[in-house]
Amino acid sequence: MWQSLPELGTGIVYAILIAAAYTFAVALAAGRGRPRLLQAARLGAYSTSALVLFAVLLLSYAFVSHDFRIRYVAHYSDRRMSTAYLLTSLWGGQDGSLLWWSLLLSGYTAACVAWLKGRYRELQPYVIATLMVIIGFFAVLMLFAANPFETSIAGARPDGEGLNPLLQNYWMIIHPPCLYMGFVGCSVPFAFCVAALVTRRLDNEWVIAVRKWMLFAFLFLSIGNVLGMMWAYEELGWGGYWAWDPVENAACLPWFTASAYVHSTMIQERRPMLRVWNVFLICLTFFLTIFGTFLTRAGIITSVHSFAQSSIGTYFVYFMGLILGTSLGLMVWRLPELKSKGQIEAAASREAMFVANNWALLGGMTFILVSTMYPKISELWGESATVGPPHFNRWMGPIGLVIFALMGMAPLFGWRKTSGESIKKAFRAPLIAMAATVVLHLAIGGWLGYPFFVPRDAFYPGAVGVLLQKVGSCLPGITIALCGFNVAVIVQEFVRGVRARRAASSKRGEEESAFVALYRLIEKNRRRYGGYIVHLGIVSMFVGFTGTAWNIDRETAMVPGQSTRIGEYDLKYEGSRRCPGNPKCSPEEQADIEKTMIFADIQVTRAGKPLGYVHPAKFIYHASPDGPTTEVAMKRSLHEDLYTVVGQIDPQSKRATFQFHVNPLVSWIWIGLLILITGTVTSLFPELSLGEVGAWSYVRGAAGVAAGTAFALWMAMAPGMAYTHERPEASLRRPASSTIRSAKQLPTAGLGAAGFVGLALGSVVSFGRRRRVDAKSQRD
Amino acid sequence: MVRWAAPLITLFSAIIGGALYGVQLVVLILAAAALLLVIWLLWSSVQALTGESELTFEEAFSLGARSAEEEQKRAVLRALKDLEYERSVGKISDDDYHEYAARYRAEAKRLIQGLEENLAEGRKQVEAELTRRLSKKLSTAKDGFSPETTSNGEAEPESRESAPASAPSEPKQTVDCPSCQAKNELDARFCKACGKSMAAAEESQS
Repeated sequence: MWQSLPELGTGIVYAILIAAAYTFAVALAAGRGRPRLLQAARLGAYSTSALVLFAVLLLSYAFVSHDFRIRYVAHYSDRRMSTAYLLTSLWGGQDGSLLWWSLLLSGYTAACVAWLKGRYRELQPYVIATLMVIIGFFAVLMLFAANPFETSIAGARPDGEGLNPLLQNYWMIIHPPCLYMGFVGCSVPFAFCVAALVTRRLDNEWVIAVRKWMLFAFLFLSIGNVLGMMWAYEELGWGGYWAWDPVENAACLPWFTASAYVHSTMIQERRPMLRVWNVFLICLTFFLTIFGTFLTRAGIITSVHSFAQSSIGTYFVYFMGLILGTSLGLMVWRLPELKSKGQIEAAASREAMFVANNWALLGGMTFILVSTMYPKISELWGESATVGPPHFNRWMGPIGLVIFALMGMAPLFGWRKTSGESIKKAFRAPLIAMAATVVLHLAIGGWLGYPFFVPRDAFYPGAVGVLLQKVGSCLPGITIALCGFNVAVIVQEFVRGVRARRAASSKRGEEESAFVALYRLIEKNRRRYGGYIVHLGIVSMFVGFTGTAWNIDRETAMVPGQSTRIGEYDLKYEGSRRCPGNPKCSPEEQADIEKTMIFADIQVTRAGKPLGYVHPAKFIYHASPDGPTTEVAMKRSLHEDLYTVVGQIDPQSKRATFQFHVNPLVSWIWIGLLILITGTVTSLFPELSLGEVGAWSYVRGAAGVAAGTAFALWMAMAPGMAYTHERPEASLRRPASSTIRSAKQLPTAGLGAAGFVGLALGSVVSFGRRRRVDAKSQRD
Repeated sequence: MVRWAAPLITLFSAIIGGALYGVQLVVLILAAAALLLVIWLLWSSVQALTGESELTFEEAFSLGARSAEEEQKRAVLRALKDLEYERSVGKISDDDYHEYAARYRAEAKRLIQGLEENLAEGRKQVEAELTRRLSKKLSTAKDGFSPETTSNGEAEPESRESAPASAPSEPKQTVDCPSCQAKNELDARFCKACGKSMAAAEESQS
């Protein structure tokens, strides 16, 4: 049975199930309070994780050694693929992505068990047991429904089918892992929640334990979703970034509930309130992650993302039933102890605002969920409805704005109760800012190309339709006004905090400058101010979303030499070329062996000033000649993107059909993500205390900084490395100025530079720390 | 030592193997290391299960881990910190601040007292056990037998931070504070009850 790799792999998946079951049993026994058993359970959890790692490494080996006996390897790779994409194919298909999910889950399990150490000893056994059940479920899935190591009946093929060309891009390398990290991350809070319910330790102990895990999962859910948007925007070529596809919707549902949770947990930490609600939110978030992956895989709703149909849906339904049953059962069992011992004392309080925010977020989530499932639900009464983007766009606009407005108002209130005076003082500056924004927008918006009102058609008949139409027409103006309000609120919070700090420090006799006060303010209140920075990122994203109201779209056909105008741009179609072959192609394009590329060369001018060229293209991959892919060409800037797509090009006359879009403010969405990451990392940053340092810490510090810098540089260069496809022989004949050669040299040079920089920085930091510690100990 | 050596060896051999033979060998080496890791972890787990392995100091220490009251105390102290911040930025009025601060302080006091009581119980047990062992050692030394090395794999239940035994069998090891007459350790520079300097008492001692 262990004679060949596929059989070994299947055996290891069995071993994963057995190890998970063993750890589950030991953990439950340890729940009776025997410390030895807990240590055995912890080691069992580590060993289950290591088994999953081993299985993934086996499958990776199968990919890099082109073991086409395995059906999955044959289906998703071929001999021509580069190592990067071979490893990417690990999560390219159904079976492998289940193994990848298991790997991430076991990574989280190992991290959670290591992080727990000796803390939360009463909760630990049940946390481990719950995580093992989830790993066990995925092992069962792999064994009985989608085994990544299954062999083809026909035996090894000479060559595989290769990864879908649409998936051979940088986004495929990074979007699924990030999104999965977000999904899987929601399992750990769920495990803590179950443990708290079972052990009856329902106070804030588990809530505090769960805080950073949920925030971490939220971070990766945000990154994963926005990366998906980037992918759709850059690769799919329909001009937008969110199509309200069922799978896209499923990915953002847990984001809504996770956001609701990180706010309502703050209430529970201060008052014994909302405990049932928080438990419900965590169970719901986890349930939605499983539901989301069920939607993607079971194929019950048609989507561009769907994996192939299989019987896997039934397993998910049973598991979701188990989750629902366990969660509801535990909640009902512990309801008497969970019930609130406090209540909201005033409507003008942050608690009330957070509850409203929770309702709004859950409302949005429910709307998206029901609308996504509507085609299936409508089958119950014989209809077969389809729900498309216009429906979502009409409703999510107002719902999003309610959430956005609440986001701005909540920081202005204090906990428990805010006095009238305080409210007036707090609202004054932001309301003035909002009014100023509205006036400014009305005055110069139209002139800049971003008018306040954008007339819309009534989508629905009747009163509801008219109301939505009116609201929809004002949406751009209202959103920008609320952006002004939110920014003013955030700035005001920082200013007030800095002022309070400086006042307190001058009372003590130590004057703090504004910068030092700001730094210390954030350092001492990371959660709060990290949260405000996240809000700033959301504001930036809303600015980006508003831009779609001012989109300009054009479809046209041109022959070479013809020009057209869109917005402020003049676009001149100069001609098309086929690469490899055409002398005007670059060396990389000539060296490509995977595909034929047909470029359209368009010169872009704006108000007479030449802005260069765009080259929208169609790629015809040799592996799949019937499915040419569209390659978008863009000119990006902070205030708008020029987005060009080529359709058909007639080979004789070179007449081409084009789609042109001017998409304002889209870059602000990506900038918003960066700000959101900064804010979340600030909140997550652990408390670091100065301690005595020895010589070893210099080395550690230097190594840490070097490793971090090298990794960051490598990640930044990943797109360049991923885009190099070329003939092996071509590398020998390459001219010295070739970009590929310099791209290959970059990693080595970059890593070396990173090493030096890291060593230098690390030494400086360690030395600086030592000086401070010495000085401190001398003062005592 | 093995903990650091094994991953480093794997890493180096993976890099060297990869440079010489390509990516396949790298993956194989990593897979082999993963398999060894699995075997080692499973074996340790079964050992722990059957009770063959000794309890390490960390495990014993963490047996007296934080209770629910400790977590509650931290939560209440955090809430107090928030209250002060909000008062400093003007989000709540002074009256509200005093009312809620008093409530939180009372709760924190209650929790800290509860924790102290738990600790007191544990301290008594530790002191009793230490007295017993010390007297046993002294008596065996007097009798001329070699003192037995008591290998103690069991942890003291409810033992918290290493509470220095104030050695009740030797009462002359304390010194009185000149201001409030509280008993302090010999090397104390400030009284632990009233906080005043012990310098006067020190001089009179030496």
